[in-house]
Parts: sequence; structure tokens; C-alpha cells
Amino acid sequence: MKPILVLACGNPLRSDDGAGWRVAEALRDGAVDSAVSVHAVQQFTPELAEEISQAEMVIFVDSAADEDAGAVAVSTVAEAPASTARFTHSLTPATLLSLARRLFGAAPEKALLVTVGASRFELSEKLSEPVARAIPEAVAAIRSLALTL
Amino acid sequence: MTRTITIDPVTRLEGHAKITLRMNGHGEVEDAQFHVTQLRGFEKFCEGRPYYEMPNLMSRICGICPVSHLLASAKACDAILAVRIPPAAGRLRRMLNLAQIIQSHALSFFYLSAPDLLLGMDAPPAERNLFGLMQQDPELARGGVRLRKFGQQIIEMLCGKRIHPGWVVPGGVNEPLSLQKRHDILAMIPDALATAQKTLLWFKMRVESYREEIRTFANFPSLFMGLVTPDDRPAYYEGKLRFTDAAGNIVADKLDPALYAEYIGETAEPFTYMKFPYYKPLGYPDGMYRVGPLARMNIVDRAGTPLADQEWIEFRSLQRGAVLSSFHYHYARLIEILHCIEHIHHYLEDPRIISPHVRASASLNNSEGVGVCEAPRGTLIHHYRVDDNGLITWANLIIATGHNNLAMNRGVLQAARHFVHGEKLAEGALNRVEAVVRAFDPCLSCSTHAVGHMPLIIRLEAADGALFDEARRDG
Repeated sequence: MKPILVLACGNPLRSDDGAGWRVAEALRDGAVDSAVSVHAVQQFTPELAEEISQAEMVIFVDSAADEDAGAVAVSTVAEAPASTARFTHSLTPATLLSLARRLFGAAPEKALLVTVGASRFELSEKLSEPVARAIPEAVAAIRSLALTL
Repeated sequence: MTRTITIDPVTRLEGHAKITLRMNGHGEVEDAQFHVTQLRGFEKFCEGRPYYEMPNLMSRICGICPVSHLLASAKACDAILAVRIPPAAGRLRRMLNLAQIIQSHALSFFYLSAPDLLLGMDAPPAERNLFGLMQQDPELARGGVRLRKFGQQIIEMLCGKRIHPGWVVPGGVNEPLSLQKRHDILAMIPDALATAQKTLLWFKMRVESYREEIRTFANFPSLFMGLVTPDDRPAYYEGKLRFTDAAGNIVADKLDPALYAEYIGETAEPFTYMKFPYYKPLGYPDGMYRVGPLARMNIVDRAGTPLADQEWIEFRSLQRGAVLSSFHYHYARLIEILHCIEHIHHYLEDPRIISPHVRASASLNNSEGVGVCEAPRGTLIHHYRVDDNGLITWANLIIATGHNNLAMNRGVLQAARHFVHGEKLAEGALNRVEAVVRAFDPCLSCSTHAVGHMPLIIRLEAADGALFDEARRDG
């Protein structure tokens, strides 16, 4: 299992919601070395928990509707208490970490969330200009984080 | 005084729905309706699109069973091309369908229904979820997550992605299976088989605790329908349609799926967007039939793989004739998971699975095509007509969940009459009414082509429509 796992979430048919996928594509195109495993998903689902449990670092990537368009932010993710975790079809990064530990016995020491501020979510495969400009910054942030391990 | 109870939304389903219970003056349930409340209209907005876009377009109907729509649509397009796809493409499509059934059944059983079975129908709703399951029985929860992942990984290996894959195309598939992928899938089989067997054992030990639910969850005589092979096994990708009755007798057999309109009628009711298909010779609503795992296990003489055959014998010994309680959809679902894993193994052991010849090409040869396969929830029918330029002029879809519409409505009524009394909805009663629907594992997004978050409403109404009580849940 690769020590660093990048899980990018979003819907590439919903404009800026596809920011995570664009970041994942750039990473797969060689922006990070082969020690990094990159997945682009539409939702964070329980099936990701086992792979998370085997990683030393997990970096979640998503767009953020409550941040300025194009703003890249990095934050740490803490495991959610089980009592707050309620499954529907998708999970938060915090509940996924909790699931990984409880079901598969471990969660990465380092868990981070990289967000790209987004403003447009209509049906389109194009990112808004500020978000498109922010993709290289988000990729660079992930590369830096990967180097810290 | 009569009154109405509304449950809105119905939770842990795939889609939006609500239930209305109409009470009489003695506090007894007089009538029940299961409403599907959204409409997406795929049949209409695909008009004017070229036929070859249909598989990808139709797979967007659903995020849970896109593969089923992809396959039925591609088969309809094969018929429009009048093409016979290469044998290896047929095997790969079959294997893909089996993987889809495994991942969908695992979602239904472990994520949506097992919390009820493990924690009890009366447990607090906040605990009746995967996390509650995880607290009580981590091994079972872990097995569920792994089984779903197993199905999804096969889909991803074959198609390149788990959701809305485009690998299946009119004429076959667009890439053969590599030796490495064959090896990788084979390596996952033993663990998946062990998990499926363990879960079946677990279910059979617990099922005795649910005698009341078994007796009252859509437990009534009906017809059952599904695809079968010439030697009486369930056919998931290709076969002839069979109807059997409650006694297990064959009512109609070797029916050409392409001629479905000759024996399946469709009607609508004003209270729901979901259509009501029925068996034409018996008329509406007497022509009620059920499809899906329970039906598939009821219409055949064996499951068709060694381990699943043993389970099937035990399953069919539950009742003389057909197994009638819809509670046993859960049981049938688990047997199907086991069967599908065994069947995938069987396909992979055949060296022909890696043949490079996987796509036939042809141009437009027919103005009409019907594609039928067994989706996780039952028989799925796609029917298209095209003009001389290959543009869709008309489309009709009959979705697995739609076939079960009459039975689900009657099942809700049966359970509500048994569990709901008086003017207030007790949580356990509410959950049991929902759980009847959940046993069918309806995919409402598919059946109405409606997008949604899965909420549910139950309304308790007077006979004159006056609202007495309403329970509402977000998805």
C-alpha cells in the first residue's frame, strides 16, 4: 500500500464542484511521485475506509462553497466521534477516518483537507476562472504536504 | 372519525418517497399508498438523441445501478444494429452485471437493512445505520464494506470507473480483459466467498427473531417474474421470461423479452409518479407480480452454482410452493451474492474470457430495439425506436422497482394494518412500515427517473382526507 493517499471528491459535471477532480488529474499526470495513490470520487463512501487505514497520510481534496472562489486552504482533519457519524450515501472526511479506525484498526497519523473555494455549481464541465487559476496552487500545496512525510 | 398518517420521507431507500395511511373511525388502517414523488423524464428527453449515445445517457439514471441501465441500453442498441456481439464480450458483460448485483445487494443488505436486523426494528433511528452496525458487530460491518468494494472494484477494473462507466458499447465492449486484471479479480474471490457465506449463516441465525415481520411484510400470493436459462437457472443477462404463481406453478414460460408489451401492461395512478406494470392476462390490479431476488429464487429449479445451490434448497424449503414473504428478499439477496461470486469465478476460469475479440461493428439495421437484463432489483427493460438517421423517436423503460409497485403498495397496507393502531405513530411501527418497502430495495430514482436525497413522509389521514398525524424524515 502506498504511504500517501489523495482522495479528491466532486462532480466534474457541476462546474467548480469538479475542482477536486482537476487536482487529481494533475497529480496523476506526474505532479507527484509514485508513492502517492490518487483517487477521484463523487462521494466519500465507506469502501474507502480500508485503504485509508493502510495509509500513513491521507489528503482529502474538495471544493468549498463557503470560501472565496479560488481560495486554497489546508486544514487538519480529526476523527469524528462515532456518536456523530450518521451514514447516508456519503461521509465526511472526519467520519471516514473514524470508520477506518473502528473497522480496520488504524487511521493515518496525518489527515488533511485541501479545499478550493468555489462559486459556480451549474451544469458545466468548465471551472470558473478563479477556480481554474487556483488548481496549480492546490496541486503545489499537495506536493508540499506529501514531501513532509 | 377517520384520519390520515403520513410518513415523509421514507428513509434508507434509493430515492424520494412518502407513505399515506388512511384510518377509519376505529383507529384501524383502511388504506395505504406508497407515493414516489419525483419525476425525471429520461424517456422524454432522450428523444432526438442518436441511439449510440443511449448507453451512456441511460446509465445516468442511477448512481447505484448504472451498469444495469448501461447493459439493457446496449442490448437495445445491439438489436437496432442487428448485431451479434462476440462471445467474449457477452461473457464480460455478464461478469460486469454480476459484479453490479453484488455491490448493489451489499449496499442494500449491509448499509440499509442489516441495522434493523441486528439492532432491532425498535432501536432508536439514530443508531439504525452502518455506524450502529459497526458498534455492535464490526466483523459484519467490515464484511459488508468489503463485499461492496469487491463488486465495485470489478466494475472499475473492467470499465475504468465505478460509476457511470462507458466500457459497454453497442456491439460489445471497447476493451478486452487483460491477464493481470483476470489474475487480480481471481485473487479477491476467496475472501468474498467467505464473507458471503458467513453473512448467510448470520442471517439464518437471526431470522427466527423476525417471525412477526416475516408473517406481515408483503406476505401474500402473487405472481413472480424473471429471466431464466433454458435449463431453469436464473438468467441475469440473457434468457426467456417466466411467470410463476404462489404455488410455484409456471403460468407462462419461454416468453420473448422483446415482446414484453404483449404480456405486460402498464398503468398509472394519480398518487405516484411510478408506473404500475401488471401481467396482462390477469388484468389490473389482479396481474400483480414481483421481481428481483425473491422472484428469481422462486421461478427456478436451482441457483446454478454449487454453494448457492445448497443455500437455494434450504431457502425453498421455507415454504411449499413459492416463498411469499417479502421479508425474504433479504435472504434471497444474500444467496444471490454468493451465486454471483461463484459465477464470476466460473467465467474467469474460462480462458476465453481474455479473448481480444470483443466488439462487432454494424450500422443501423433496425428501427426498433429492446434490451432486457436482470438488474439487482429485478427485470429491466429498455425499448427504443429510431428514425432513418438513428435518432431516438420514442423510448420506454420498465424498471425493476416499477414491476414491484403493486406489491409494495399492498405490502405497506398489510404491514400498516398489523403494526399501526390509534392516532399516533409509534417509532417501531413507523420503521416497520418503512422496512417493508426497504425489503424490496426499491430504487426510486430509477423507477421514476427522479433525482433525490431519499427522504420519506408517512401521513395518517381521515377518510375525508383530514390530516391526523404526520411523520417526516430527511434523507
